This record gives sequence, C-alpha cells and structure tokens, in this order.
Amino acid sequence: MIRLSNVSHTYGDGPVLEDLSMSVDPGEVLAIIGPSGVGKTTLLRVLALFVRPSSGTTELDGRAVWSVGESERLALRRRIGMVFQEASLFDASVVRNVEYGLRVRESWRERLRSQFRSVLGSNGTSEAVEEALEVVDLDDSLEQDADSLSGGEAQRVSFARALAYDPKYLMLDEPTSDLDPRNTGLIEDAIGTARERGIGVVVATHDMHQAERIADRVGVLLGDGFSEIGPTERVFEDPTDDRTRKFISGELVY
Amino acid sequence: MALDPAVDLLPALLDSPFREGYVSSIVYVSLYVSVIAVSLSTLVSVPVAIVMGFVDFRGKQFVKSVINTGMGFPSVVVGLLVLFAVSNQGPLGSLELIFTKEAMIMSQFVLATPPITAISLAAVTGVEGNVRDAARVLGGTRLDVALVVIKEARYGIATAVLAGFGRAISEVGSVLIVGGNITSSDGISKTRTLTTAVQLEARQGRYETAMVLGAVLVAIVLLVNAVVVRLGDTGGMGR
Repeated sequence: MIRLSNVSHTYGDGPVLEDLSMSVDPGEVLAIIGPSGVGKTTLLRVLALFVRPSSGTTELDGRAVWSVGESERLALRRRIGMVFQEASLFDASVVRNVEYGLRVRESWRERLRSQFRSVLGSNGTSEAVEEALEVVDLDDSLEQDADSLSGGEAQRVSFARALAYDPKYLMLDEPTSDLDPRNTGLIEDAIGTARERGIGVVVATHDMHQAERIADRVGVLLGDGFSEIGPTERVFEDPTDDRTRKFISGELVY
Repeated sequence: MALDPAVDLLPALLDSPFREGYVSSIVYVSLYVSVIAVSLSTLVSVPVAIVMGFVDFRGKQFVKSVINTGMGFPSVVVGLLVLFAVSNQGPLGSLELIFTKEAMIMSQFVLATPPITAISLAAVTGVEGNVRDAARVLGGTRLDVALVVIKEARYGIATAVLAGFGRAISEVGSVLIVGGNITSSDGISKTRTLTTAVQLEARQGRYETAMVLGAVLVAIVLLVNAVVVRLGDTGGMGR
C-alpha cells in the first residue's frame, strides 16, 4: 500500500498540496479528478516517490520512504511505474524503450553481457517485453524507431515500458488527454489488465467519464486537498461534499 | 668537367614539392597531435558538460562564461602561455617538453576544450527534461540517467568533438610557438604540422609544396565538416 499522511508540498509561489492524506492498494484503480493546475501531477509525482513533499510522510508497503537510505529508497522506487502525459520515449527502437526498466535492474555484468549479445545480433526479446507490448496491442512493432510512432502508439509504448518490469503500482498522469478514442480505449483496456495483475493504479484525468469507466475509487482534488475520495459510484451519484457535487455537475467551483 | 652528382642533386631535391616522406610525415604529425589533443579534451569536456547539465552550483554561470570566452581565446596567447609553462624556467621546465609534439598537444588541448565543452553542454541541456524523468521513474540510478542523457545527446556530442578537431587541426599560431615547426636533417617532420608547413613553404616561395599541403589540410577539414553536417542533418547514421 502507498500511504500519504498529512502531505503538503510547496513550489516557489505557494502551496500545491495541503495536508493531504490518502492511500492506494494493490489491485485497485484510483482516479484523481480535478481542474487543471490543482496539483494532480504533483500528487502523482509524490506517489511515484519522485518528489519529496515539503512535509508529511510517504509510506510504501509500510516503509517511510524519505527516512530510509538512498539504496533502499531506490529499491522502493522500483516497485512503482509512471507514465507521463507526453510519451517521453528514448531515441531508440520500441523494444529498447520497453526493456529499459528491466535493464537498469540488472547487474552491470548482465548489462554488459546483453549489450555484447545485442551487438552480435543474438539478443532475443525477453518475454516480459513481448507481454507488455501485447497488452497495448503493439507486439508487431518491436524494431520500429520510437520517433516514427504516432502520438497514440508512442503513449502505448510508454505504458508498456512502465508495465514490463512488473511494478506493484502504476501512476498515470493524464495518459489519454491527447489521444483519439481508439488509443484511449486501448490504454483503458491496458489499465484493466494492470488491475487484474494486482497492480495498484492511480490515474490523474480530467475526463470524468473515463474515471467512471475505469476506476474503483475516485478522489476529487479541488485546490486544497481532496474534497471527496471514495467508491466511484458513490462519489458520482451521491457526493457528500457540496463542492464535489458542483464540480461533477460542471459548475465552476472556484 | 664532370659535376659532383651530390651537389647537382641537392637543389633539385630541395625544390621538389614531394621530398621523400616530407608530406606524409607532416600529415602524420598533424593528425597525431590533433587526435591525441582532442581525445584528451573529450575525456575532460564531456564529463564536465554532463555535470554542468545536471548539477546546479554557485558560479555555474561564471564557469559558462569562462568556457564561452575560451572559445574565442586567441591561439597565439595560448601558445605563449604553454611556452612559458614548458620553458626551462617554467613550472613544467624539468619535463623538457619545449618544441615537442607533447607541448603542441598541450596547447591544442587548451584550445579544443572550450568548444567541445560548450557544444556538448548545449547538446546535454537540449535533452528534454521528461526523457530524464522517464529514465528515473523507470528505476534508473543517477548514473543510468546520465547514460541516457549521453545517449540522447550523442550526435550533439559527436558534433562537438569533430568541431574541436576542426579547430585543432587548422590551428597555426600556438603550434608554431610551442612546436617550433621543426624537421629533422633528413626533412622528416618532427613538430611541423600542415598549417605551419604551409606558412613556411609559402614564405619561402615554394608555392607548389604549400598548395599540396594546403589541399591535404582542406581535404581533412572538409571531410570532418561533412561528417558534422551529416550528423546534424540526419540525426545520425542509423541506430
């Protein structure tokens, strides 16, 4: 479980997150919805152990992440995957991109050996890489250059890249905001597969219909923390918080 | 009266633009000095560029301006400073490096380092932040992230190295001062490079030799530039 307790985070000109507490379990999909600029990306970066919050605690599977040593934190960080709004692929082939997470987990000796094998052209694609690309329906594009992919394909590769090393948690920062319906559908299916595999998924989105479609729980982030967080159906149909109701019905909250 | 063939042949030999081994030895000295200087410079410049691209520290802006100033630093002044350093009274006097290839390597190292560092730094900082972030969230250590950045910036770094090589091989002032433009008694170059040889041959009126040497120099520089342009145009030669 990833648990944030009383987390606040400040960037230069003011607080982005204020006294926020939440948790994510393996095997659930939690959607974070809220207007732009409310701190969804920062929250995901905190959850991915990418950003150390200004105050509060971040726990992963019972360990206080920012109190442990660097090497243990790296090991904890490696239980989490993240997909950004932009695909951010490396200038290399699809397969090289997807296997990156596996490579960095190998020892230097193993990495040198596989580098050597790939120079000789005898480096087979690992099963995990093929499986991850199958999930996003791109298992026939292994050797394609990343920069020749369409935006939707690149984002799917980006998803496969985070899935390949079998993370326990997956943070998705508006993964479908620039995509067409077909690619959006494929990413949503992939999120479903991730959940079936027992991965805890947090997805930031401003598409409320998407949140309704894919999430077990929804957190509504409105300026100063969650106005509401709970089971998807309950939050959408019977919000207890007045601001949540206004946000969901499309009225301006602030 | 019979002429002494040695006396007869000597002027002809001196006049010939292609004295045995002369041109090739000059090309060899030029390439030797430039390649070693640029290699050493690359070993220093690229790590410096990467550290500067990654780490914020006090005085970073100052270091950047020093590097940029270094790109336009007059080569004769560099030559003079290296000459002082390696001269008998200088701090490196005991190494007896004056008028040697090693002294020339030192001065070319000083000249090539600023452009290689500056262009590499531009390439490294040009790698988008989200690519670095991706390497990190995928579980990379700092070293892994640095390696990703080097890989992403590889064409820019290659361009930097070739630009440094271009500066080194076509440079004349400092190698003339610290190398002395010397040949051995059999006409084989010791510290004579293509540039200093062209300068000398032209001054002595041996224009054919100067032209041949100049053409070789131009060919080398054009070849290097062609590689730079190709790297810039295509983003590389396959991957």
